[in-house]
Amino acid sequence: METQRLAAESVEAAPLPEAPQAPAAQADSQPKTRGRAIVVTSGKGGVGKTTTTANVGIALAARGARVVLIDADVGLRNLDLVLGLESRVRYHLLDVLEGRAELDDALIRDKRVPTLWLLAAAQNREKDDVETAAVQALIERLREAYDYVIVDSPAGIEMGFKNAIAGADEAIVVCTPEVAAVRDVDRVVGLLGNRVDVKLVVNRIRPALVRKGKMLSVDDVNSILRLPLLGVLGDAPDVIVATNRGEPVALDENAPIGAAYRAIAARIAGEDVPAPAAPDEPAGFLEKLGSLFGGRR
Amino acid sequence: MKARRIVVTSGKGGVGKTTTTANLGAALAQGGKRVILVDADIGLRNLDLVLGVEKRIVFDLVEVVEGRCQLRQALVRDKRFGENLAILPAAQTRDKTAVSEEQFAGIVRGLAEMCDYVIIDSPAGIEHGFRNAVAGAAEAIVVTTPEVSAIRDADRVIAKLQDRKLPMRLIVNRVRPEMVRAGEMMSVDDVCDILSAELLGIVPDDPEVIDTTNRGIPLVLDPTQRLGAIYIKIARRLEGEIIPFTQLGGGGFFSRLFEALRAG
Amino acid sequence: MIRGKAGGLEIVFSGRPFADAYEELLTRLREGASFYRGTQATVSFDRTPSADDLQRVAIALGGAGIAWDGAYALEEATSPAALGRPSAERSVQLSDAAKSLVADFAGARSDLKQRRHRGPRRKIEAASLVALAERPAPPSAEPNVLYHRGTLRGGQSLANVGHVVIVGDVNPGAELVAGGDILVFGALRGVAHAGAQGDRSARVYALALEPTQLRIATTIAAGMERTGLLVPEEAFLDGDRITIVAAGDIPHVRSRAENL
Repeated sequence: METQRLAAESVEAAPLPEAPQAPAAQADSQPKTRGRAIVVTSGKGGVGKTTTTANVGIALAARGARVVLIDADVGLRNLDLVLGLESRVRYHLLDVLEGRAELDDALIRDKRVPTLWLLAAAQNREKDDVETAAVQALIERLREAYDYVIVDSPAGIEMGFKNAIAGADEAIVVCTPEVAAVRDVDRVVGLLGNRVDVKLVVNRIRPALVRKGKMLSVDDVNSILRLPLLGVLGDAPDVIVATNRGEPVALDENAPIGAAYRAIAARIAGEDVPAPAAPDEPAGFLEKLGSLFGGRR
Repeated sequence: MKARRIVVTSGKGGVGKTTTTANLGAALAQGGKRVILVDADIGLRNLDLVLGVEKRIVFDLVEVVEGRCQLRQALVRDKRFGENLAILPAAQTRDKTAVSEEQFAGIVRGLAEMCDYVIIDSPAGIEHGFRNAVAGAAEAIVVTTPEVSAIRDADRVIAKLQDRKLPMRLIVNRVRPEMVRAGEMMSVDDVCDILSAELLGIVPDDPEVIDTTNRGIPLVLDPTQRLGAIYIKIARRLEGEIIPFTQLGGGGFFSRLFEALRAG
Repeated sequence: MIRGKAGGLEIVFSGRPFADAYEELLTRLREGASFYRGTQATVSFDRTPSADDLQRVAIALGGAGIAWDGAYALEEATSPAALGRPSAERSVQLSDAAKSLVADFAGARSDLKQRRHRGPRRKIEAASLVALAERPAPPSAEPNVLYHRGTLRGGQSLANVGHVVIVGDVNPGAELVAGGDILVFGALRGVAHAGAQGDRSARVYALALEPTQLRIATTIAAGMERTGLLVPEEAFLDGDRITIVAAGDIPHVRSRAENL
């Protein structure tokens, strides 16, 4: 559930402590409900899981929700880079799980959007070092204090993936319009099973190539996957630049893809956001986005 | 016939390992070498898709390991290259724990008796699947893109390869010269400096490549694809020829990346 | 001619020409009407009957609601050399013989595309098409059916000694293995192996037959491009080739449709 949006001025004025504060008592605050635990995964590497986690997470936080992002890619961490927080990582997930650090010390608060926190992965460890039950317990604990716990899964379907999905009851699968990616996502959806609510984000679509028949369409992808569609993202060089700079593109008011990420965040929060008008898209393309929360399983 | 045994790996997923394995293998085969490609991504197999031989798979690597078929029976030949190109597919309904490092190494040694090159397509990551893929190899090709996260992962993988004393060379994939010139993307020189690696190839970004991959057509077979020529050059360098690199874009320097790598 | 035994009936064809025995069987079944319905029968012959004869008997039994438990050719039997008896082997893996037959360095044999028969290009006579369509369940198949509702995703597999029925799609990368028939009420896009224990009369049905690979007994056919059309089809072995018939090509199905 979303808390009240914090006024921008109060964010800049006070120096921000690293540790998360107890939720400020507000006259109109809603009764505490358990936060949502969402894993972002794909099977195939390089389709945009980390970028999606970072941008959707920061967009949700910018709407006022308390969001914690967890990088489950032990040994190959990247979420901190994409968020531009890599220089502030002191403790990581394994430090917390193994008792070397308190959770509050390990969580890094984003200075741009103060309701966003990051729990980084360990760089010099292996995914086999993590115990599934411990991760599950941590996520349960975080759900008590945060509105969204979003886990960035590693590629593959090995131990790292299994740990990342432990404790999540929702999943966002990210797929690019490539046959290999569709196959991998399908495998992952099969492994997630019926207990997890799965939605799809299609990334790196190039409408011009789809029109020329040189790229799969969203329909082609979802005719196999048959998942409710959360959003469609174009292939934008802005994202590469943003990643290199550590500035999530969802904060960029001028980037169309930033708006797309913000729309996805809104849909996750329950808003019925229609697909954006794109002047150079043929009508058919937009129609294919269809009902964004309907879809078939 | 003792083959060269090369693993193609990267750390980061999605940078082009499978495309590189398939196209490098095809280029070598077209040049007359006998090549066997091995898909080490058990459970998420894609090499057969990229080569377009999926529908002809009868047996897979796991069935060889479990003794249910002969190694030769599991090989699927790509008829477009005569006798020169075959693939040992991964299993789709299993996962990477189905095979141990020793078993994988044994398979690779067995294949090395049948050809000139065994090229192993590693899965993403540095977990069990990666360890299997590296187990049978004597050399490595590391594939990266000029992006911070890919480079950071490549760095991690290079350290692991050095631990195993595997000689390695680098392919920088998906370079966008216009972005390099605009200072929005690292140059190939930057990448090689940061990773301290010897360069094997530079492959420019080309979104139309996705279509040929989807259709299972190796680039060297499609004369409209300029990337085919680039893979042929890489194959020739692998064979020992000295071929100068086509420089794409100018130099550039990302100090922030240095900081990140030093810290992480 | 029809003897009751523990567990079912025994129908004795031996001792006289096939044609005579067959006529008598038909008469007995007509007289018995619904008496035999729901029973199982084994049929014993002097020598191995032709496929056509076997088929005729099967149709007759099927029409009377009798399940065929097996057939024996006494002359050729030193042990009960049953024709089409289910093997004692419970596994549904490809048998070694099947595997060595199908696996060669060049991969699968025939392309599915070449095995399609539509409309006037059909070589099979209409009359035998009806017979083929009305062929009862292969005698080797266990009566059990594995029924699954839901889409099978890549990497998942289902196997059964008897038949397999899926209400949903079978995605590429998924695998079905059946000792008997396979029926997919949806799109079949993965790998399907019917008659996996060697039963060459097994069949594969799908609303959209677009498998990556199709296997019936020891014959393999490699997949074809998606047509995008929803045409219910059936695949079976005609000789040693996998043949596909569109549901609309089967005369009695078509005539029923016309009568609607």
